[in-house]
Amino acid sequence: MRRPTRFLSRWPNRFALGLLAVFVVVAAAAPALSPMDPKEPGVFKRVGRVTDLNPHPPDDKALLGTLPGQVDVFHALVWGTRGALAFGVVVALGALLLGAIVGAVAGYAGGPVNNLLMRTTDAFLAFPLIAAVALVQQMVAMTIQSMGGTYWFHSPFAGMNIYFDFTPPLWTRFLMSVDPVMICLILLLWVPYARLFNTQVLTLKRSDFVRAAYSLGGGPAWVIRRHLLPNALRPALVMVATDIGAVVILQATFTFIGLGGNSAWGKLLSIGRDWVIGPGGDLLRYWWVFVPATLAVILFGVTWNMLGDGLHDALDPRRS
Amino acid sequence: MPPLLQFTLRRFAYAVASLILITMVLYAGFMLTPPEARAMLYVPKGRGAERVGENFIQRIIQEKHLDDPYLVQYFYWARDLARGSWGYSPTLNEDVLAALLRRTPATLELAFYSLLLLVPLGLASGLIAGWHPRRWFDRSFRSLAFLGTAIPPFILSLVLLAIFYVRLGWFAPSRSDLALEVEISKGTFHAFTGILTLDSLLNGRLDAFASTLRHLALPVVTLALYHWAVLGRITRSSVAGERHKEHVVAARARGVREPQLMRRHTFRAVLGPSLTLAGLAAAALVTGIFVVEIIYDINGVSRVIVSAMSFEPDPPAALGFTVYSVIMVLGLMFVLDVALAVFDPRIRDEIFSP
Repeated sequence: MRRPTRFLSRWPNRFALGLLAVFVVVAAAAPALSPMDPKEPGVFKRVGRVTDLNPHPPDDKALLGTLPGQVDVFHALVWGTRGALAFGVVVALGALLLGAIVGAVAGYAGGPVNNLLMRTTDAFLAFPLIAAVALVQQMVAMTIQSMGGTYWFHSPFAGMNIYFDFTPPLWTRFLMSVDPVMICLILLLWVPYARLFNTQVLTLKRSDFVRAAYSLGGGPAWVIRRHLLPNALRPALVMVATDIGAVVILQATFTFIGLGGNSAWGKLLSIGRDWVIGPGGDLLRYWWVFVPATLAVILFGVTWNMLGDGLHDALDPRRS
Repeated sequence: MPPLLQFTLRRFAYAVASLILITMVLYAGFMLTPPEARAMLYVPKGRGAERVGENFIQRIIQEKHLDDPYLVQYFYWARDLARGSWGYSPTLNEDVLAALLRRTPATLELAFYSLLLLVPLGLASGLIAGWHPRRWFDRSFRSLAFLGTAIPPFILSLVLLAIFYVRLGWFAPSRSDLALEVEISKGTFHAFTGILTLDSLLNGRLDAFASTLRHLALPVVTLALYHWAVLGRITRSSVAGERHKEHVVAARARGVREPQLMRRHTFRAVLGPSLTLAGLAAAALVTGIFVVEIIYDINGVSRVIVSAMSFEPDPPAALGFTVYSVIMVLGLMFVLDVALAVFDPRIRDEIFSP
């Protein structure tokens, strides 16, 4: 059977592709599904008085109800889909690129360079993500403070607040606009990709068919295109698919526990958490506070996980 | 020297070397910030960030060699770490190392009970599921493992809290009842080790023991479910591969009974790969422990970064926490490695044969 046909012949793959299509359509059609408030554009739209701290059930003003502070759940859910997809794809591809370059260069150079680079890569395995996320944000904070700015964490919607008495230099503004969680995830996720590409390059360097390819006049570019990429990209693709789901869940986790990150889904849950687990909270009575964002996070993870499994089976060369 | 001791020492040296390498990379990353910013790490007690004058900062830069080349700076920083001066945290009003050490027993307790629950259960369920694939146990194992990996721990803990704490009142978040904390501060309950389950037994207080378990139950289950699913899946797939190996078939032909085959001939062989992968996931496990601590409001090691990340920046606390958590991961990997060497016959033979 041809690969695409076999891929589509399994129901989990069709299910995952269908869910992915829904996510992509929602992300693409976000402006049409839930237009932004022209006065206050943003992922969070207020549909009532800010001072009203009770969540209200779905009505025709807010399709999925509101959170405390009258934040529209549907609006944040739709725009959060766009954010989640973008975040996942950027992080996974960034990690793939970084890992491919480091792994391939180390393998190509060989010898002590390879040893040093791959040992450092191994060291990253012992680095807990949560520490990296906290540390990078503190580094940004202390840099801005030493510039004479004021920085503090944890305002419910913006995440962090930064003030300058003067116009900050350009690079500081760049520093303020990068997402620390994104940087950390890329920095810790590239390791498996580096190992993968490293192994491939080391194997290829020794293999007879590459020597034969060279002796037939094929240059490095040809070897990379014909031999390295097909062999390494297949497993890399599976890892990319799984990672996209995993990083979005991690981002939502960090946002939920208040360690930064811009996951709209995570913020929805953290704003509404007191109506689920606080005194007087009730999961069934205030379901719209909890269920929509939860479903979005879980389904997003499941989609990419299933796609990863499906791709793993479909791309396995021993099975074709 | 006995071979196992030799192996242990070698793994220990390896862990220390890893720690040096990681802190070198860490400090190299830290040098991206200007020296004036790094001086914040050395601001002593009683000097709030806003009161630190320009001259004071310059003096710190001079004293701590923050303008010098990388290796010199790293050396002075690492020397301070080794001497135990990890800086002073303004948000905790405490020395960073003291704050971390004081909270370690709570984290260790959570980690210990979670591992105690998840490792045997993960290995056992993976073994049974893989031994009889596609039977009812395998099917239910796979559905439960799917749920375990599909539901992120932070969502699972919301659900668990909503049901068992808000609705039923069986279990509770946070570390202990208020009454127990009062008793500890009054001195009628002696906190010998800081590990509350152990302490309540040492005090002969079964009521305190029960209430501590009541607080531990939900975080332990949350933490164990996800990693149980991962470990069980790995074990299941390696059992499925091992089940038809020649040595198992030969043993069966010799008349060895099935339970014996499963326990002695397959389980031993599978233990190695499963625990090795668990060691590779040590960093994820430690991150998971911290996340669960934060959600359930447990005053463990993670409290240090919660306090550092809640309003004012607190770089000494964050850096100390990072180094400390790396040490925790390396420690966990070390323990797993040694445990593996004791249990896995192949690795044991490798050590014992000269």
